[in-house]
Amino acid sequence: MVFSVGDTYNQNFTVLDETYKGFIHLFKDNNPLHTDEQFAKMKGFADKVMHGNILNGFISYFIGECLPLKDVIIHSQQIQFKNPVYLEDELLFQAIVTGVYESVNVVEFQYEVKKKDLKVVAKGKFQIGLLL
Amino acid sequence: MERNQLLEQVNAIFIDTLDDETIKISEATQASDIPEWDSLTHIQLVVAIEKHFSIRFNSKEIQSWKNVGEMIDCIQTK
Repeated sequence: MVFSVGDTYNQNFTVLDETYKGFIHLFKDNNPLHTDEQFAKMKGFADKVMHGNILNGFISYFIGECLPLKDVIIHSQQIQFKNPVYLEDELLFQAIVTGVYESVNVVEFQYEVKKKDLKVVAKGKFQIGLLL
Repeated sequence: MERNQLLEQVNAIFIDTLDDETIKISEATQASDIPEWDSLTHIQLVVAIEKHFSIRFNSKEIQSWKNVGEMIDCIQTK
């Protein structure tokens, strides 16, 4: 088994303009919180808030491209949003293996996404299956 | 743990994992008896049972089970 409980994996992400615009182009979520700076400021945010589900895209990339195996499939994924993310924010994704179930080739992780100031913007869990 | 207690606990795991309050398993229950019990939910059942009882199975053991009774036999050997 490639994974052991306690193994940690880190990956940096930046919310680029092309990611933000690409998300809107693909999913048509033009809610003013995400697209209208003045609206977002009226609601108490520092700027337009990036769509929380952009983070799920980063998680998909992390699982599909950054783990030591490509033979993986996502079984489940949970996310809790803790703080807003803004355009060009640099994010650190940190995941730790919390469970390994060799009998069924399953690995569970907990993760946190932090800004450079270490403020947590999201946390959650995901479970992957190994296609061995 | 008594075998009937084990069966009750495994039944609770089935209800939670398969999200079906009506499930009532017996030792003779097989996957074909429960519509939600497919190859994917089987993985989740195994993970949930391993977590609940703090045990680990191996793939040969899992493949040998023909019904819930054989699953419980295996749990009792741990």
